[in-house]
This record gives sequence, structure tokens and C-alpha cells, in this order.
Amino acid sequence: MASLARRRATDYTVKAISTGFAALSIVLLAWILWTLLSRGLPALGPQVFTRVMGPPGAGGGLLNAIVGSLIQIVIALLVGTPIGLMCGTFLAENGRGTQMANVVRFINDVLLSAPSILIGLFVYQLLVVPLGGFSGWAGSIALAILIIPVVVRTTEDMLNLVPIGLREAAFALGAPQWKVVTLVTWRAARAGIVTGILLALARAAGETAPLLFTSLGNNGWSLDMSRPMASLPIAIYQYAASPFEDWVALAWAGALLITVGVLTLNILSRVVLAKIK
Amino acid sequence: MNFAPDTSLDIASAVNRATVPAGATKLKVEKLNFYYGENHALKNINFDIPEKRVTAMIGPSGCGKSTLLRVFNRMFQLYPGQRAEGKILFDGTDLLGKELDSTVVRSRIGMVFQKPTPFPMSIYDNIAFGVKLHESLSKAQMDERVEWCLRKAAIWEETKDRLHTSALGMSGGQQQRLCIARTIAVRPEVILLDEPTSALDPISTSKIEDLIDELKQEFTIVIVTHNMQQAARCADITAFFYLGELIEVGVSADIFTNPREPRTRDYITGRFG
Repeated sequence: MASLARRRATDYTVKAISTGFAALSIVLLAWILWTLLSRGLPALGPQVFTRVMGPPGAGGGLLNAIVGSLIQIVIALLVGTPIGLMCGTFLAENGRGTQMANVVRFINDVLLSAPSILIGLFVYQLLVVPLGGFSGWAGSIALAILIIPVVVRTTEDMLNLVPIGLREAAFALGAPQWKVVTLVTWRAARAGIVTGILLALARAAGETAPLLFTSLGNNGWSLDMSRPMASLPIAIYQYAASPFEDWVALAWAGALLITVGVLTLNILSRVVLAKIK
Repeated sequence: MNFAPDTSLDIASAVNRATVPAGATKLKVEKLNFYYGENHALKNINFDIPEKRVTAMIGPSGCGKSTLLRVFNRMFQLYPGQRAEGKILFDGTDLLGKELDSTVVRSRIGMVFQKPTPFPMSIYDNIAFGVKLHESLSKAQMDERVEWCLRKAAIWEETKDRLHTSALGMSGGQQQRLCIARTIAVRPEVILLDEPTSALDPISTSKIEDLIDELKQEFTIVIVTHNMQQAARCADITAFFYLGELIEVGVSADIFTNPREPRTRDYITGRFG
């Protein structure tokens, strides 16, 4: 009987500890969100979306940073998604079980956990130095390199979840492999693949380090991809540490915008997943 | 009255068909050996499959019957390390040779699997998928083909009002008949059935068995089954495999009532397997 009491006590203790830490993590998250909202919302006036960054006290906004971020992310997505998708497809379909696939998978895993500043430095050496300057293109490529391993991984995982029987059924009708992949397995895994792309996008949207050495940031209005380009994370990085109150307020507004954007992407990916399922 | 399951009825119906006229040989297996890597899974198989008849392959798990089925449509070639030696003459041409492309073999020799495998698309598109691989039909011709094969598979009445809804919403038995329809739609000459009813309830099973009886008017059918009554009910010819060897093949009624080999008798009477 004593042992029963002890088991109950152990059970209770473990439950209490795990519940406590779960609550703690939610409290921390809520705290961050609260701070963001309380500081960011008051600063989130219309000028944030209508005016470009300006000198302290001049009532500047973040328009160029918002547009710069969007352009760089969209181009990163256009470059990174096809590469990631095809690479993940190679790992799960054409190359399944080959030595080549094992090597590619290993390298991809390394890339997945590589510090993002390393990617920034790599693109700096690859593009910025030879081309003689920072540019929006370099920033986009750095973000694309960040996106690729995430898309590769989720694509492979999702394709591996498609039952072999479905592929065999398509082959049994006389389909060549490329049609089996594009018309059957991709279709069967599409919800998971789209989710992976959205999550990769969310990750890229908040990264500062890869952009520091590539697109640099730009305080003025510029849509020229071959010149330095503004982005939200860089603007936040630049403004948050400044001594000027209105710049710090804009940094909070920018942080709130990124968070809301990433949160929206995450929710969207869940909706996509739920809808197709 | 005796309400116990009466298996003698099946045997009796098989006996009635004992004199099956021999059709032309559709598939002629000659000295076939099959290997999974080092594992010798089929040993020197020689056997003829007659045209427009149902041929059942029975035997305990691991005896090689499903392996042989997957040689007929070259499915094994999807997996490195699996190889076949010998010949399978398909209307006189070796289907393991270089004369025939695997996609052509598979369009002429269709296959239905143990578990229903509808593609994640509409009922209509499930059928159109296979047809489009080999023919380019107009919309009207495709509509006609879809109706034709769904009627053949005895599932038209259940599906005609929901052709453009997802096939994943159908019951297991309906899905399996859709898979049969999809296979027929390509207009193969041979249909391979790999334990097509083992995942289905008795009512769906009996529908599929009736269907097999209908289909042999037009197609050569080879079925792998673990269900002896099913083989006795459906098959004109039955082949018994054991440990990678073909032990005995003959008219089903003979195999089930008067097997020559003691191992066949032991298996069909449930002494092992």
C-alpha cells in the first residue's frame, strides 16, 4: 500500500512539473506577444506603410523595408522552391536507396542546421565580392539557400508518407516514372509539401543575418535589385539599437509586422493541411 | 436442415465445370527462376495460362505466388536487386525480353492489388489517368470509356451521380471495384488480381467474385488468393505453389477433389499453411 501511495505521489509530481513548464512556456510566449503589441501597436500608424525610412524626428515609415522584404522573399521563394522540390523528389523517388541520395540527404541536413550568418558570408564571397557591391539579388539568393534545405526535407518526408501501393498502382497502369511522380505522388503529398514551403517562407521572413552581408539595407526607396535593398529585419536591427525614440518605436512596429506575418503563414499552413485532408 | 457452412456446394459447382475446354495459351511460363538478391524465390517454373479463363494461384505465404504475379507485369523491375531468369511468352513474345517496353507490358497486362489504391482525385479522373497514358480520346469518347468500364466493373449505378467527387470518399469495396474499372479502362488482355478481396467484407467479396466470372468472357484472369473456397468458386485452373516450386496445376475441380500430390492435399485440407 505504501508503494501505491508513492506511485501516486510520483505520478502527481511528474504531472505537476510537466504542466508547470508547459504553462511557463506559454507565459513566456504571451509575454513576448504582449510586449510586442503594447509597444508595437502605438507605433503602427499609417505612416509606417506610406512613408519610407527617414532621419530621426522626420516622421519616416517602413514602406521601403516592407516592400524590400516582400520582393526579396518572393524571389527567394521562386528560386528556392523548385530546387528544394526537385531535390526532395529525387531523394524520395528517383534516388531512393542510392549512395548519391544518402550523400545529398546528409549535406542537406548539415545545411539545415548551418548558422544563417554562415549563409550570408557564403553569398557575400560568392556574389557580393565578385560583383563589387551589395544587392537585392544577393539577399534573395541568401534567403533562397535558407529555404532550400527546409523544402527538401519536408518534401522528402511527405513523399515518403505516400504508400508504395499508390505508386505501384500507377506503374501497373503503364505510367512512366515522371508521370507517376507528377500526377500521383506529388498530388497525394501536396498538402504537406505546401505546408513545408509556407514554413520555410516564415523562417526566411524573419532572418537578419543572411541579409547583413548581402542586401545590406537601404534607407531610401529602391526597387533596383542590383543595388542595396531595404528589408524589415535589417531595419529593426538598425533602429532598435539607436538612441532615437521614434526609431525605436518603428523597430517595435516592424517586429510586430514580421510576427503577425509569420503567425499568419503558420496558421495558413495549418488551414491548408486541414482543408486538403 | 443444416445451417453449418456448406463447403461441399462449392466443390460440387467446381465439379460441374470439371470439363473446361482448353483455351489457347495466353501466357507460357518457361524455366522461370526468380531471385530477391541471393534468395531463390521461384524455382524452375513451367506453366501455361489459358486465354479467357480464370487461373488461381494458391499456396502458403512466401510460396512465390505473388512473386510470379509481379513478374507477369514486370512490377519487380521497379526494385533493384530483384531479377528473373527464363521466359514468359505472351502471345508468343517473351515479355521479359527487350522486344517489349515495360509500360507496354503493363498496359496489356493490368493488375489489381490487395488493398484498394484509388488515386487522390475524382472517380472520373482515376479512370481517365490510365486511359490518357496510352490513348488520346475526345471528351465524349472519354465519357463513353468511363461509363463502359464502370458498367463492366458493376459500379456504374453507384457512381454515375458522383463521378466528379473524390474517389477517397467511397467504401473499401467500391474502391476496389473502381480499381478494377480503372484497370479494365486501359483495355488490357490479361488482368492480374493479387488477393483482391482479402481486405473486403463478405458482401463486397461476393460482388467481386461475380465480377470475375463476368470478366473472363473478355479477359484472361490470373488471381492469387489465400481463400481456398474462392479459388474453387472462381477459377477454372488452379496452381498450387510451395516453397518457390509449382507443385501441381490442373482443372480446379481435380485439384480440390482429387489432388495427385500429397502436399496439395495437405494444404487444401488445412493441414499446413
